[in-house]
Amino acid sequence: MLDIQNLNVVFGTGRLRVDAVKDVSFTVKRGEAYGLVGESGSGKSTVLRAICGLAPITGGRVLVDGRQVTTPRDKTFYRTVQMVFQDPYASLHPRHTVDRTLSEPLAIHGEKDAEARILQALKEVGLGPSFRFRYPHQLSGGQRQRIAIARALILRPKVLLLDEPTSALDASVQAEILNLLDDLRRKMELTYILVSHDLAVVAHLCERLLVMRHGEAVEETTAEALRSGKASNEYTQSLIQASQGFTRKPSQATAIAG
Amino acid sequence: MMKPLLEVEDLRVRFHLRTGTIEAVRGVSFQLGRERLGIVGESGSGKSQTGRAILGLTPPPGEVTAKRLAFDGIDLQTASKRTLREMRGGRISMVMQDPKYSLNPVMTIGEQIIEAYQAHAKTGRAEARDKALAMLEAVKMRDPQRVFSLYPHEVSGGMGQRAMIAMMLVTDPDLLIADEPTSALDVTVSMEVLRILDELVSERGMGLIFISHDLKLVSSFCDRVLVMYAGRVVEELEAKNLREAKHPYTQGLMRCLPTLANDVHPLPTLNRDPSWAL
Amino acid sequence: MAGAPPLPQPSGLRAWLLSAEPNSRWQARLGRGYLGWRSFTKNPLAVLGLGIVVLLLFVALFADFIAPYSPVIGGDLRTQRLLPPSETFWLGTDDQARDIFSRIIYGSRITLFVIVLVSIIATPIGLLVGTVSGYLGGWVDTVLMRITDIFLAFPRLVLALAFVAALGPGIENAVIAIAITSWPPYARIARAETLMIRNSDFIAAVKLQGASTPRIIFGHVVPLCISSLIVRVTLDMAGIILTAAGLGFLGLGAQPPSPEWGAMVATGRNYLIDQWWVAAMPGLAIFVVSLGFNLLGDGLRDVLDPKAAK
Repeated sequence: MLDIQNLNVVFGTGRLRVDAVKDVSFTVKRGEAYGLVGESGSGKSTVLRAICGLAPITGGRVLVDGRQVTTPRDKTFYRTVQMVFQDPYASLHPRHTVDRTLSEPLAIHGEKDAEARILQALKEVGLGPSFRFRYPHQLSGGQRQRIAIARALILRPKVLLLDEPTSALDASVQAEILNLLDDLRRKMELTYILVSHDLAVVAHLCERLLVMRHGEAVEETTAEALRSGKASNEYTQSLIQASQGFTRKPSQATAIAG
Repeated sequence: MMKPLLEVEDLRVRFHLRTGTIEAVRGVSFQLGRERLGIVGESGSGKSQTGRAILGLTPPPGEVTAKRLAFDGIDLQTASKRTLREMRGGRISMVMQDPKYSLNPVMTIGEQIIEAYQAHAKTGRAEARDKALAMLEAVKMRDPQRVFSLYPHEVSGGMGQRAMIAMMLVTDPDLLIADEPTSALDVTVSMEVLRILDELVSERGMGLIFISHDLKLVSSFCDRVLVMYAGRVVEELEAKNLREAKHPYTQGLMRCLPTLANDVHPLPTLNRDPSWAL
Repeated sequence: MAGAPPLPQPSGLRAWLLSAEPNSRWQARLGRGYLGWRSFTKNPLAVLGLGIVVLLLFVALFADFIAPYSPVIGGDLRTQRLLPPSETFWLGTDDQARDIFSRIIYGSRITLFVIVLVSIIATPIGLLVGTVSGYLGGWVDTVLMRITDIFLAFPRLVLALAFVAALGPGIENAVIAIAITSWPPYARIARAETLMIRNSDFIAAVKLQGASTPRIIFGHVVPLCISSLIVRVTLDMAGIILTAAGLGFLGLGAQPPSPEWGAMVATGRNYLIDQWWVAAMPGLAIFVVSLGFNLLGDGLRDVLDPKAAK
């Protein structure tokens, strides 16, 4: 479904040059959920943004459904790939009602039957028709994220790019959104690429994952391997350890980061 | 038993808004010795407002009342402005979530630490400078001299937060209130910051209030945990006994987190019982 | 929309407006408007400002019925020149024996004409230049902003004078001159707002739905810039009125015998010591209307642009 070959992303030139992503390759099969894990500055989000055209592809190839993406992306691309952003407070237009937010993609692509589609989309993300004419400020964080997911799904894409979809939410709301994403993937046969700093979240949702650091791929592993502690790389181990909470005895693993 | 460092009884924080009065904190009581106390809750639980109210940092339309709010025997409600000012930043310090917003962008880190120190200790500049450098070293800055002359935007988030801790601890406070001190940081960096905080707290015998949304982190770091929900403390327990939590909210919070250890699909969600908020 | 008329619920119109679950686009919009109106009316000075502006509108609309005398044709030059305020002539008469009260009433039409025309010319230009420049960036931004800078570098009154001198005196030319000199600040504001909005996630989201650039600018960026612009235009109204009056005062705006307030002050200048009311009354009108717009602007800012308020 998705084939990334030697992706490079460079911002700026000369002294301001930043190599945000260096030679990253991975493939994602149809219906699979693939995770990108790393700390800030690891380039995980940039990979996502490069796929959908919000960041430039400086080198390498990005193939979606066997076809290389064009710059600028065409409408077919946007019908195939959609994205959910990290902060539900920033990803909804503050002056648009839910109805307007959801009807925008339909209008852009000239889809008919907007009303039924909007109500259907709301239902899919577990919200009733009473939410249709609310403004974002009348919604909780979890409800906003549901609207953002509904917006991404309303065009019936095949691939969903998830950029830290739960990190701005409370733990209990995170569980609800993760369950929703799990359900939707099964029902709609979606392919996910999930970016997160939280190993547990990635392992929960994805089968395979790529650990990234400083713009480079550290290792590709499976959620199963993480669970059984079979990750071979030292950096991955340190991430696993840190995700277990604070340990009073100083350990080698956490001394790496500086 | 030792006299408690901080006594809070029936603390309430109200915000009088045009649309009505909102009670953010509704009768919180606890005592703190020289220990690490964690306050856990989700957004809107009143955990941050509790911390702010102790320091008298409740934002303007807010009103704070308490049956008793005393630090080391001094009643904070009746104390003079002058006493409060000396206390705040001197004997009680606060570390905020994001160093980007709590450090002054136009002063070097060193200057800010010196200023914080001189505001509470009458010392010469050279001595303050030595103290600031020692403090930067204590928070494990690799090159204190260099960091001393850097501006906040020139350091990383983790370094900024360590600088913030250095600034807050330079006056040797008895109580440190840390409001989500590591949530803006990467996991490995935040472990490092916590380790520094942990060492300083135990070396200097401070009391620490650690406010966070992260139950797992708080229970692994603190001695005792208060779980807050809708402005109230619903459960207070020893951190090591977290698994035996009685309140359904605490139990729900524990269970709804995905873990590496066990793979549960779907995740149990939290059914909020309206009676918890009563 | 479902087509069903929005029926007020049992608890009345207020509850319907404030409903957390609006049933239609209109209810949502009206509810928003109502909340804005409620917070606006909390500020008595803003309501006073609105009152003054509404009064200006009313007076201009019904000048024919309110004014007791003709604004242009004076009375008896031998007996009715420069009379002090009295029961017959409420605000006195001027050197042509014309009733000052009537002239001020009719003058409100000219003031309103200037305000409306300037705002419908300058605001869209500023909004368009600012949002396009801010959103597209690059060389478009550079070119548009340098043009803005050039206009911004001229003192407003001097540039207006130059335009009027070139186009010939008259109220229409004065309006054009003022409009041309007043859009650059709006372009700056709109650009600054756009720069903040441009990189936000909700713009990225609509980009990812395949929206075209004009669609993003007009459907998503402009609505967010417009409220701070409305506030700024309202606050600028006072300045526009003063500039128009200034041009009139210098003889380059409205031409005699048209009852433009600035021109009226100019004639009163000759009698300032002995017949103070000739200059003071139109001056007072300029002051009150300018103040009204300033108060209204402040109130609007609290409602529309809470960030800038404090």
